[in-house]
Amino acid sequence: MADTNRKIQELLSDYAGALRDGCLPVFLKSLTRQEGKELSSSRQFWEAAEVVRVLNGVGFADKAATADVGLFASRVDANIASRMKKAKSSPRAKRTTGARSTTKRQRTEKPI
Amino acid sequence: MNRRLRNALKGLNAPDVDRRRRAMEPFVRETFGIFIRYLYRYLGNEVECEDVLEDVYADIWENPARLRDVENERQLLRTVYLYYMRKRLREVYRRMNRHLYLAQKDLSNLAAPELGLLDTMSQNELKEALNKALGRLKARERRAIELWRDGMSVRAIANELKTTVGAVKMLKFRTILKLKEMMSEYSERSL
Repeated sequence: MADTNRKIQELLSDYAGALRDGCLPVFLKSLTRQEGKELSSSRQFWEAAEVVRVLNGVGFADKAATADVGLFASRVDANIASRMKKAKSSPRAKRTTGARSTTKRQRTEKPI
Repeated sequence: MNRRLRNALKGLNAPDVDRRRRAMEPFVRETFGIFIRYLYRYLGNEVECEDVLEDVYADIWENPARLRDVENERQLLRTVYLYYMRKRLREVYRRMNRHLYLAQKDLSNLAAPELGLLDTMSQNELKEALNKALGRLKARERRAIELWRDGMSVRAIANELKTTVGAVKMLKFRTILKLKEMMSEYSERSL
């Protein structure tokens, strides 16, 4: 039977293409068991992968940096707001211990 | 590090959560370009980069202690990668793992590797090192890399260089290893 597993140079080429085109999951899913093993044991692949990432960053990253920063900052703010809300309503905050209920009672009794 | 970034970092260390929240906007404005370019190296997809970065910033807001002693841009990038980005990057493909023939360790190394020599260099340093290294390559090797960077497929490169797809893959592999050696030399010298 013919060996259809890709060689290291083919794997690297496909990894580089997938990274450039932003579809790494497709590459990951395409790996066979044998290819996974080969990739794992190849020092050259990991060295070359580092350069592939650099090439990707230097060559193509500028198109990612053109996004609207103001809009993105408001997305971050919304994420923070949702985390704050979650922290306030988390079960840990709701848990009533003896000490907590006492302080609550004291707080409500104060105005009287 | 510029004054605005230094002030933004100072604001992040406020003990009050609301003040920290207000300090996030100038911090995001100052660092977005640096961080997203860095993330793009690992994901190659601007939508995913933005999703990951959104969580990274929220994590920084939640726990900014790691950024307290940052003194320059290189240190900032390194700290943010090691303590905030890496965890998020690993989460991107973690769920895929059960369907893959790839060990968890290798998947982690592909998605969010340990920092190598080249990873700690800034974008400008990398550009300079890469240009110098490309200049030292043979014409055919340089052409293959340039065509690939222009977005051409391996088949198209093979047509352009009048050779086979297999030969282009081999040429690219050897050239990339050569580039790795040259750029490592450069980065060791610049340290």
